[in-house]
Amino acid sequence: MASPMHIMVVDDEETICLALSAWLTKEGYAVETARSGQATLDIMAQKHFDLYLVDYKMPGMDGLQLLAEIKMRHPDASVIMITAHGSIQSAVEAMKRGSIDYLCKPFDPEELSLLMERVAASRAIQQAESAEADQWAGPREPSWEGIVGQSEALRTVLSEIEEVAPTNAPVLITGETGTGKDLVALAIHMRSEASQGPFVAINCGAQSESLLESELFGHERGAFTGAVKARRGRLEMAGNGTLFLDEIGEISPKMQVNLLRVLEEKKFCRLGGNKPIDIDFRLVSATHRDLRQLLREEQFREDFFYRINVLTIHIPPLRERLEDVPVLADFFLQKYARETGKPVEGLTPRAMEILLGYSWPGNVRELRNVIERVVVIARGRMIGADELSFLHAYGDSRRVGPATLKEAEIHHLQHALESCNWSITQAAKMLDIDRVTLSRKMKRFNIKRP
Amino acid sequence: MTADTSADTSADTPDEALLDLVPYGAIEPLALSVVAANIQAVAGLPTRIQPARPHPEDAFIPTRYQFDAVKVVNALGGEKDGARFRMGVIQRDLCIPILTYVYGEAQLGGSAAVISFHRLQHIDPKVSYERGAKIAIHEAGHLLGLGHCREPGCLMRFSKQLEQLDSLPIRFCPACEYEIARLLRKAASNRL
Repeated sequence: MASPMHIMVVDDEETICLALSAWLTKEGYAVETARSGQATLDIMAQKHFDLYLVDYKMPGMDGLQLLAEIKMRHPDASVIMITAHGSIQSAVEAMKRGSIDYLCKPFDPEELSLLMERVAASRAIQQAESAEADQWAGPREPSWEGIVGQSEALRTVLSEIEEVAPTNAPVLITGETGTGKDLVALAIHMRSEASQGPFVAINCGAQSESLLESELFGHERGAFTGAVKARRGRLEMAGNGTLFLDEIGEISPKMQVNLLRVLEEKKFCRLGGNKPIDIDFRLVSATHRDLRQLLREEQFREDFFYRINVLTIHIPPLRERLEDVPVLADFFLQKYARETGKPVEGLTPRAMEILLGYSWPGNVRELRNVIERVVVIARGRMIGADELSFLHAYGDSRRVGPATLKEAEIHHLQHALESCNWSITQAAKMLDIDRVTLSRKMKRFNIKRP
Repeated sequence: MTADTSADTSADTPDEALLDLVPYGAIEPLALSVVAANIQAVAGLPTRIQPARPHPEDAFIPTRYQFDAVKVVNALGGEKDGARFRMGVIQRDLCIPILTYVYGEAQLGGSAAVISFHRLQHIDPKVSYERGAKIAIHEAGHLLGLGHCREPGCLMRFSKQLEQLDSLPIRFCPACEYEIARLLRKAASNRL
């Protein structure tokens, strides 16, 4: 989980500081207040804030002066100026000097909420871009890229990675949703000759066909409405590195043909362009779907399948390697305790028993989310069975399991739908069945969104 | 939807109540009953309806023609007698110094809150009552220590508009429900 946004409220009026701080705290932000510009600078010397809400009119150092000081010390920090009604001129001046927005006192709660959502979203993008920049920063030390576990099954996966990495052959990684296929892809990259180049990943299932095409192939200026300048695609970006096509089972037959041609000819043209561009990258693909079944259903091209499936690595689901659960749980617990600053030290034996008794349909990702959740709500140093009692609510514990196959199916479907926020499309994808089948089952078992 | 208003909407004896509902000025008795029943049923707080009081004139802001919710909450929170939690209910409009209006306000993890029916009015009184109940349960969640939740179907989600409030079911998401149950146990044990 991303850490909560740290906000500093600066206003000489105590009531404003208190009211704004209380409102933002309820929204889940970490908030501090200061009553003057100088007090803000003193706190800034010790701490960094993501966002500053600064009153324009303050005795001593005014809002504009403080804005300049903040920008000088932390150019990445966002500042929102708070002004009184009728001071639009000052707000415009503040925006010119780097404030991202302004609010007129008193604010409309809806306006404040929308603005905070916008700031949080832009911060998330900034963090993702910075993570991507780190990823592109060049060669890294080989390690297991966050793959954690001690089971025999996982050791087999690791030795397969060691075997396939030095070759230049395409690799297909299979495994259920949440098993960590992306980490395995990165581990292959880091151990291959392509590790000196970039690792470029794209989720083929997360975008429409036209968007995916533009993302992969890039486009020339004027190729379509909105293409105001030429743009490199992921195929080009992955030059001399690794291209990781996640959810390859989701791409359309047309896109399969396009990619097949690229893989065979090792050249392609940007959308709207006619100049062939030479490319050379290592291809790693991943899917949670049974591609052979898709072949039989003629949804996947045979020639493309054999082109991407020269070497295969299968990641077993977590329920088949439960001995990894304690190590993973401890790993995530330390990680989230560090991130949230909570003094959580471990799990009680009974809590661990509950984790080991659960079948983890969402695999490592689900375990990670469960640990994140219990760390966030933890009150003491040890996570007890109480904190994990919600796992029983999913009815998926093997020891306290449903009595009949029908009950098990209902519970499993409900759990999948809940974890996908009741999106039938996403839940169907997670369950590896089509949408119509899931809808039919929901109707048959009278499963309704609460 | 709203809990059955014929249900027992108030705790029988003062000792049983964890929350006192304090009406300011004239409030429809049925609206109060619906709010109390829902707080009790959904947030699990045994609720008692107190006799009506006059409007808190100290908290009135003449320039805005609104009542300062923070002042009302602080005054309620400072009272010594009564249940562990106190929630004012007012028909007039509420604001806090920095916001143009609020539907309700509560001390996070504190003892007092206030809600207003002013902006919750609908041509169908049932809808108005249901809105009031949702705001009251949301503020009760804050009293117990819960912040806002990002889950789309959770009462602890901040509703920017009445349409959003109307689309929320009267329930918490499983995570908030779990946390409420835990905090309630804590609140009950503190009372003993």
